[in-house]
Amino acid sequence: MKKRGKATFFVVAALIAFLAYTALFGITSQYGDVKTPILKGVDTIRWGIDIRGGVDVTFTPPEGTKATKDELAAAESIIQQRLIAQNITDNEVYTDYQNQRIIVRFPWKDDETDFNPEAAIKELGETAELTFREGDNRDSSGNPTGVTAENIILTGSDVKSAKAGQNPNNQEIVVQLELNDSGKEKFAAATKKLAGVGQISIWLDNTRISAPAVNEEIPNGVATISGNFTAETAKDLADKINAGALPFALTADNYNSINPTLGMGAKDAMLLACGIAFVAVCIFMIAVYRLPGVVACIALVGQVAGAFAAVSGYFGPFPSFTLTLPGIAGIILAVGMGVDTNIVTSERIKEEIRAGKSVGAAVTSGFKNSFSAIFDSNITMVIVAVILMGAFGPPSSLFAKLLNPIFQFFPSAITGAIYSFGYTLLVGVVMNFIMGVTASRLMVRSLSKFRCFDKKWLFGGKKDEA
Amino acid sequence: MKRNLDIVGKKKIFFAISSLIVVFTVVFALIFGVKMDIQFTGGSIITYSFDGELDESAFAKELSAALDAQLKTQLSENTVTKKDNIIATLGAKKNVKADKVEAALQTLQEKFPDNNIQQESINSVSASMGSEFFIKCIAAVAVGAILMILYIAFRFRKIGGWSAGVMSVVALMHDVFVIFAVFVLCRIPLNDSFIAVVLTILGYSINATIVIYDRIRENSRIHRSMSVAERVNLSINQTMTRTVNTTITTVTAMVIVCIIALIYGVDSIFTFAFPMIIGMISGLYSSVCISGPLWVTWQEHKAKKKAAEKLAPKAKKK
Repeated sequence: MKKRGKATFFVVAALIAFLAYTALFGITSQYGDVKTPILKGVDTIRWGIDIRGGVDVTFTPPEGTKATKDELAAAESIIQQRLIAQNITDNEVYTDYQNQRIIVRFPWKDDETDFNPEAAIKELGETAELTFREGDNRDSSGNPTGVTAENIILTGSDVKSAKAGQNPNNQEIVVQLELNDSGKEKFAAATKKLAGVGQISIWLDNTRISAPAVNEEIPNGVATISGNFTAETAKDLADKINAGALPFALTADNYNSINPTLGMGAKDAMLLACGIAFVAVCIFMIAVYRLPGVVACIALVGQVAGAFAAVSGYFGPFPSFTLTLPGIAGIILAVGMGVDTNIVTSERIKEEIRAGKSVGAAVTSGFKNSFSAIFDSNITMVIVAVILMGAFGPPSSLFAKLLNPIFQFFPSAITGAIYSFGYTLLVGVVMNFIMGVTASRLMVRSLSKFRCFDKKWLFGGKKDEA
Repeated sequence: MKRNLDIVGKKKIFFAISSLIVVFTVVFALIFGVKMDIQFTGGSIITYSFDGELDESAFAKELSAALDAQLKTQLSENTVTKKDNIIATLGAKKNVKADKVEAALQTLQEKFPDNNIQQESINSVSASMGSEFFIKCIAAVAVGAILMILYIAFRFRKIGGWSAGVMSVVALMHDVFVIFAVFVLCRIPLNDSFIAVVLTILGYSINATIVIYDRIRENSRIHRSMSVAERVNLSINQTMTRTVNTTITTVTAMVIVCIIALIYGVDSIFTFAFPMIIGMISGLYSSVCISGPLWVTWQEHKAKKKAAEKLAPKAKKK
């Protein structure tokens, strides 16, 4: 019995070391000059805009306007298209249909030196200019030229609605377009002219979104656009056309922009503080709890690494997560919980040893007796974390849906900062069960089987005890 | 044998201290008012950086005219960027539109060409969204508290779960008050970091309370003959080293965060970490000195009532 399980310590410690190393530095495979990340390291963490600087803006329809669900979807699609047009690919866009809000967050680009957030916000919220133009002539930068630039057939106000649908004859997925009275005649004339010989291109601002060929004259203002659509691409095009037909511009009463230099300093300070605090805690733990203290430090390394891994998207199925300043605070708090778990257990072992038990027996009952307290306190933390994520997360997130019966009576307030705090706290608690409870137990029990460590004072007994 | 502290016996002193803190905070808040951040009230805060000497009052006047709004300015230095900042706060319930801010920066750059004025950050919140956010925060705290009571009531049903749940939440409310007091006394405006601190301390303090209750639960099995007061006192003393050591480690960590935040001048972290430290100490105090003894008071009161009912069952019925 005594012989078995000695290797466990080394296996667990090696696994933690592996996790810590890979979570910090990542693993990349190199093929020629192309590096492909296999496991993502800390450098791939997406920092929140409070750290790297950026813009956080909430768009709403103007006061007194009640937007429909379709109108909001259209508005969201136009915002997304404009973000891409401005080359802001790293963005988050959430739409809260219940409370008529579109929340947009995007960070500063790395090479950005002179960025004007107000101009960007203004541009995102403006009504999109939808045009139907004759032909599909574009210059090298994609702008309309020639007849396409000159001959505008329809504008946004001529379009009543667009939606994705199916052609009843052949089940093909199409976009169904319906025009207002103002557009019917113009469209009829244009389609008569172009039927069989030309195209009508559809533009949103200065981006061509579609260029269907005209098959026949369309006199009644009801047209379908067909051509290899999937349900998704058809909806996308319909949303964009609807965006151009939106009767209002979005207003941005709520916005927040932070210069990157402010935030990056905060990040460095936070990480430095994390490092120093970690060392201080380790010194304390080893000084007070000796062997279990050493194990606690190893487990804490695993816990911190696990927390960063959960944020960077290291664990395949879990996507990367934006890490904000409160998010870092959440990691610190979770590490505090991890320290507490180890203290509760180590205290218990010490007590059992002072009550006269052997090292092996004290370790076993120490872990057993401390578990209920650790379990209950961690579950209450889970309650806090889940509520934070549900109350302050994007409406489409899992926890928000879970808590919708409670929070639907309250208006949405999507603060990414608090959401990130809840997430890191939740991850921390899970890591606490894995590291603080399971890994610690395996390591301490394994170590207690070595004769050289089978000494009571190493577990908190008096010095003179064997 | 370790010396046992008689915590439960001194409960009246502790209850008095806590009541005093609560009363003092309420009175102070009523007299001096509570500052709310624009996140709750609505409004705008714009931070500009500048070089050299800047005439603050002239700057304020120009900006006020450009934005067509009343505002207050404040100078500060950012230790990270080594730049002087001027922070403009626009009166409550008035936030500005993006295009005006853009124009205002141009005006300022024209009027103060030597100062290289740059806009560092802006935070603008509409009044309605601010109050909605506030309501949501209160709701989150309330829902959290209710779920905690439910969970504790279930897990500690052997030792009178409901009373344990309610008493632990009373101790938590005490901690919330202490954090509130820190924000009010230090004149830190209430903002989302207040909510984050409150929720953290709630979880943190309930953690300590649960460790103690867990011991009471265990001791109820082992020491059946002990009185409630003795049993609770024993449990508090048995878990004392853990409670103190955990507080030492976490507070040390937070103090380090605080010091680094001060050195680097990261205000947002400091206003988060400092109330957190006080909250942690308050959590230690409330778990040890309030939640356990309060629970004893409840149990003794219940026992007395039972005894009185046995003695005079008729008197009770009236």
